[in-house]
Amino acid sequence: MATSSDILYSVRNLTVEYETRHGVVKGVDNVSLDIRRGEILGLVGESGSGKSTLGKAMMRLRNGSARITSGELWFDGQNLMELSERQMRDLRGSRLGMVFQDPMTSLNPVQRIVEHLTETMLTHEPEWTEEEARARAEELVERLGIRRERVKDYPHQMSGGMRQRVMIALALALNCDLVIADEPTTSLDVIVEAKFLDLLKELRDEFNLTILLITHNIGVVAEVADRVAVMYAAKLVEIGDVNQVFEKPLHPYTEGLLKSVPNIELDSGALYKMEGSPPDLSSPPPGCRFHPRCPYMMEEVCPIYDPPFAPPEGASEDTRVACWLHHPHPQKVAIGA
Amino acid sequence: MPESRLEQVATPTHRIEAGPPLVEVRGVKKYFPLQSGFLASLFNRGEQPAVRAVDGVDFEIRRGEVFGLAGESGSGKSTVGRLVLNLLEPTEGKVFFDGMDLSQLSPDEMRRLRSRMQIIFQDPLASLNPRMTIGQAIAHPLEIHEPNLSEGQRRKRVLEMLEAVGMNPPTNYADKYPHQISGGQRQRIVIARALVTRPELIVADEPIAMADVSVRSALLDLMMRLKDEFDLTYLFITHDLATAKYVCDRIAIMYLGRIVEVGPLKSVYGSPAHPYTQALLDAVPVPDPKHRRTQPMPRGEIPSPIDPPSGCRFHPRCPIAQMGLCDVEDPQLMQVPESDNHLAACLLRAGPRAMGQQTPPS
Amino acid sequence: MNLPVQDQETAVPQWEEELARVGFVRRLLRARKWYGADWWFVAISSVMVLAFIVVALFPQWFAPYGPHEQVGPRFLAPGETPDLPLLIVRADSGLSTLEDLATGPDDEVSRPPIAVLRGAPTAGALREQAALLDDELQESDSGLRLRPNIRRYDTVEEVLQAVQEGEAFAAVLSSVQYEEAAGQFPDLDAPSDISGGVASAGDFLLGTNQIGQDVYSRLIWGTRVALIIGFSASLVALFLGVPLGLVAGYAGGKIDRVMTVFMDSLYAFPGLILAIAITAVLGPSILNVIIAIAVLYIPTYYRIVRGQTLSVKQEVYVEAARSIGAKPSTILRRYIYPNVIPSVSIIFSVNIADAIITGAGLSFLGLGLPPSTADWGIDIARGQEFIQTAWWLVTFPGLAIMLVVLAFTMLGEGLTEILNPKLRDR
Repeated sequence: MATSSDILYSVRNLTVEYETRHGVVKGVDNVSLDIRRGEILGLVGESGSGKSTLGKAMMRLRNGSARITSGELWFDGQNLMELSERQMRDLRGSRLGMVFQDPMTSLNPVQRIVEHLTETMLTHEPEWTEEEARARAEELVERLGIRRERVKDYPHQMSGGMRQRVMIALALALNCDLVIADEPTTSLDVIVEAKFLDLLKELRDEFNLTILLITHNIGVVAEVADRVAVMYAAKLVEIGDVNQVFEKPLHPYTEGLLKSVPNIELDSGALYKMEGSPPDLSSPPPGCRFHPRCPYMMEEVCPIYDPPFAPPEGASEDTRVACWLHHPHPQKVAIGA
Repeated sequence: MPESRLEQVATPTHRIEAGPPLVEVRGVKKYFPLQSGFLASLFNRGEQPAVRAVDGVDFEIRRGEVFGLAGESGSGKSTVGRLVLNLLEPTEGKVFFDGMDLSQLSPDEMRRLRSRMQIIFQDPLASLNPRMTIGQAIAHPLEIHEPNLSEGQRRKRVLEMLEAVGMNPPTNYADKYPHQISGGQRQRIVIARALVTRPELIVADEPIAMADVSVRSALLDLMMRLKDEFDLTYLFITHDLATAKYVCDRIAIMYLGRIVEVGPLKSVYGSPAHPYTQALLDAVPVPDPKHRRTQPMPRGEIPSPIDPPSGCRFHPRCPIAQMGLCDVEDPQLMQVPESDNHLAACLLRAGPRAMGQQTPPS
Repeated sequence: MNLPVQDQETAVPQWEEELARVGFVRRLLRARKWYGADWWFVAISSVMVLAFIVVALFPQWFAPYGPHEQVGPRFLAPGETPDLPLLIVRADSGLSTLEDLATGPDDEVSRPPIAVLRGAPTAGALREQAALLDDELQESDSGLRLRPNIRRYDTVEEVLQAVQEGEAFAAVLSSVQYEEAAGQFPDLDAPSDISGGVASAGDFLLGTNQIGQDVYSRLIWGTRVALIIGFSASLVALFLGVPLGLVAGYAGGKIDRVMTVFMDSLYAFPGLILAIAITAVLGPSILNVIIAIAVLYIPTYYRIVRGQTLSVKQEVYVEAARSIGAKPSTILRRYIYPNVIPSVSIIFSVNIADAIITGAGLSFLGLGLPPSTADWGIDIARGQEFIQTAWWLVTFPGLAIMLVVLAFTMLGEGLTEILNPKLRDR
C-alpha cells in the first residue's frame, strides 16, 4: 500500500477543456492518479486519448486553448493550482522536468547545447558561476553517453537520440524530482530507443528519479514501467502494477490492446483485431465511452451509465478499473449478469 | 473477465507459386546527388558527394509471396519500394517485372504496366487528392486503364471495392472527401484504389504506421484477406519488425542501403546470423514485462549514407568485428550454415569462413 | 450478451457530417453557424462588391446628372444650397427661364434687355450662362439666339423697377438681394434661377466641381471605368499568368528558368513606372490602360501559381497519381490545377483592388485615359489644386477608391477562409 509520503505527485479529479469550432471539448475528463516516488509510471493511450493534454496540464504549461476547469494538482504536498505563474516557472526545470516527442523543436536551434544547459542551470541557481555550471553540464552529458566535446554542438549537428539525451540532461541538471516524458522515443529508431530506455532505468536507479512516461507503445511500457495507467477518450480506464495489467487485464480496451499489438516473439500466439476506432471527443458515446467497440457490452448498463474508476470488487486500492464487468450495478442483477 | 471474444487477424495462406519470380532486382543502386557549395566543389576533384540511399541491392519476389523489407531510417527501404515500381529510376542496375526490364519500356508501356503494380503509401491523407471525392479517387485508375467502361460500370466497380475493404454501405462513402473520414478509413480507401485494377503486385510502404494503435490490426487483417481474395503478391516495407512477423513469408533486413540478411521469416527471426539483425530483433520492445533483452546494443549511431564506412558497413558498431578483415572486405550476401535459403552479409557468420572451410587464399 | 457492434468508425465531428450533406450554395448561406466572424466578413464585402457592380452596370439609375453636364454653380460645397442668381420677370409676362428670352430672326427685339446690379458678380454669371445657352441654340438649328443687352442700374430697387415698367424684359439678382426688395414689387416673380432649374440643396449631394459638374454623378459614372479596368486587367493577367505558372512549375528545367527570369525582371520593375511607360508608348485609351495594368500583374499570378505548383508537385497524392499511370496532362489537370487554384481566388479579388488603384494612379497622372472620361483619378488630379478651398473635389473620389478597394480585398480574404479547407484547419 502506498503511503502518503511515497506519493510525489497526485492528480485529483482533473478536467481540462479546450475550444474547438463546434464548442468546448473535454480533453481530460475527471482524471485522478498518483505517482509514487522513484517509480516509472507508464501512461498508455492512443492519439486523442488525452494523455499529452494531461502531461502538459500537470506542468501547467500553456497548451493552445486548453484550460484546467476543475481538479487539483498536488506536487510533494503543494497544491500547484494555488501557485502563480512565476512560482510555477521556478518549479519547472528545477523540480519538474519535461521531455517532449520531437527534440528538434524543443531545443533552440541557434543555441549551443552547453549554452542551453548552463542557462537553465543559472536561471534556477543564480549563485553558481559560469564555470561551475559548465563543468556540471559536461559531466551530465558524459554520464548520458555523449562525448564531452559535443557539448559545443548545435542541435542540428546531433542525431535524434542524442538530442533526447540532452533533454534528459536538462531535466537532470537541476535534480528534478519528476520528469514527464511525452512520447520520448516515438521519433527514434528501435535500437536508439532501446538504449534510451536502458538509460531511463539507470537514471531511475541512480538518481531516484520519478518518471511519468507517456506513450502509445505498450511494448515500451512493458519494458520500463513499474505501474501502468491506461487512458481512453479523455478518461482513465485502468491502472495497476505492470505485471498484473499485462497478465490479467481488467478493462476490455486493455485486453484488446494487448491482443492486437504485434509481439515480435515467435511463440507469442495469434494477433487479434479490435472493432471500430477511437471516438471523436466533441461528441463521445454516452455511458461508457468504449461501449460501441466492446465485445462484452451489456446493453442495459454500458451505453447508459458511466462506470466509476475504482478498485474492482475485492481487490486492493492499487488497482482500479472503469468497467461494469467489475463493478456492481442494479441493472446487472436484473439481467442476471 | 469472461472468455475472450475478439476475432483473430487473418493470417496469410503462404501459398507461394513456383515458377519465375514476379519481381527481380539486380544490382540496383540509387544515389541522390547533393548540391555542393562552390568552394567545396573545387576540392572534391570530380567526385560529387551523394546520398547513397540504395547501394547495391539484389533480391527477387515470387508470386503469391509476402516479401518483407525491414530497416531503420536511412536504410533505403522506401527508396527500394519506389525503384521496384519505377517511380524512381535506378542510378545503376535493373528492375524486372514479370520478366520485363522496366528501363527498356516506353513511357506509354510503363503507364500501362502500372495497372499491374500498385503502391500503398504511409500517409493516407497525403496520398489522396483533397479535391477528389473518394469515389473519384477510386475510379480514376479505371478511367486510365479500362477506358471502355461506361460510367455505370465504373461506379459499380467502385462500390464493389468499397465493400471489399469494409466500408459499408459503400454509397455513404463514395461522395465524401478524404478529410471527412477517419484515418483508418482513409487507409482502406487507399487500399481500395490500389486494388481496383486488379494488380498483381502491391508495394505497401509502412501501410499501418500512421493509423491508431487499436485500428492497426484490423487493417492488417484486411490486407491479408484481400491477398487471398485478389491473389496478390506483397512487398511489405516496414520498420516495425513485430508486425512483419505476422505477415511475411520471407524478410530482408536493410542497413545503410544494402541488404544484410534475407531468408524465410522463421529462419531470420529464429536464428539471425548478422549481428545487426540480432541487435535489431532484440531491441524491439516486447509487450511482456517479464521479457528481458539479451543482446548488447551496437555502439554509436547509424552513420551518414553520404560517406559509409569502409569494408563491412556495420563494422564500426559491430560487437564481433575483426579488425583487418571486417574493415577491409565488403561482404556480399552469403549462405548461412545449416539454414536453407538464408543469406547474410557477414564475413564471420556466413559464407566460407562460417562453414568452417579454409579461408580462401588472398 | 453479445450484440452487434455499431459502426463507430466515424471519429469525424458531427458538424462536418452535416456540412457534407449540404450543397455548395446552401453551405455558403447556412455557413454562418459554422464559420462565425468569417461569414460576416464575406457577407458584408460581397454585398458591397455587388453594389459596386450594379452601380457600374447601370449608372443612369443612380446618377441624377450625366458625367459631363455642367448643371450647377461652381464649387458648391456638399449640402450647400446653390445660390444661383434668380431670373426675375413680370408675373404676367409668361416667361419662366432664361431660354425663353431667346429671339429669332422674326422677333422685333433681337437683343432682349436684362437688368443687373452694377458691379455685382451676377452680371458675370448671366453673361456666362447666356453664352452657354446661345451656343446650344446655335448648335440646335432652331434659328434662335440669345444675346442679351445687359443694362446696369445702381440699386436693387432700380433694377426691379426697370422690369416692372417694361424697360427690361427680365432682371438677374442674387436671391438675397431679391428677397429684400421683393415685397415692394408684387407684380414681379422669380420663376427660376438662370440655369433653368429651381435649385435646392438636394440637387448636388456632394457638391460641384470647378466647372459646375455634380461630384456625386461623376462618382457614379466613374465606377464604371474603375471596375472595367479592374476586372479586365485582372482577368487578362490571370488567363496569361496562371497557365504559364502551371507549365513552368510542372515542367521545371530550362523552360522554368527562362520564364522565371523573364517574369522576375518584369516583377522587379516598379509597377506604376512600367504602366506609365506602356501607356505612353501605346497612347491614351481605356484598352491600353487595361493592357498596361495586366502586364503588371501577370508576374504576380505566375509566381504564385508556379510556387504552389512546385509544392503540390511534391505531395504524395501526385506521386500516387503517377503510380496509377496517369499522364502528365491528366496530373496537371486533375491533381495539380484544382489544388493550386484556391490560392489564385484570393489574389484575384485583391488584384482587382490593386488594379483599380493603379488605374486611378495612371489617370491621376494624366496618362492612359482620354481627358474627357469621367474617372476618379482624373477628378482627383483636377481637384488637387483646390484642396484647401474645395476639399470635396478630392475627398469623395478618394473615398470611393478606398471603399472599392476595401470591398474587394475583404471579399478575397474572407472567401479564402471559407473555401479552402486546408487553410481552415487550425
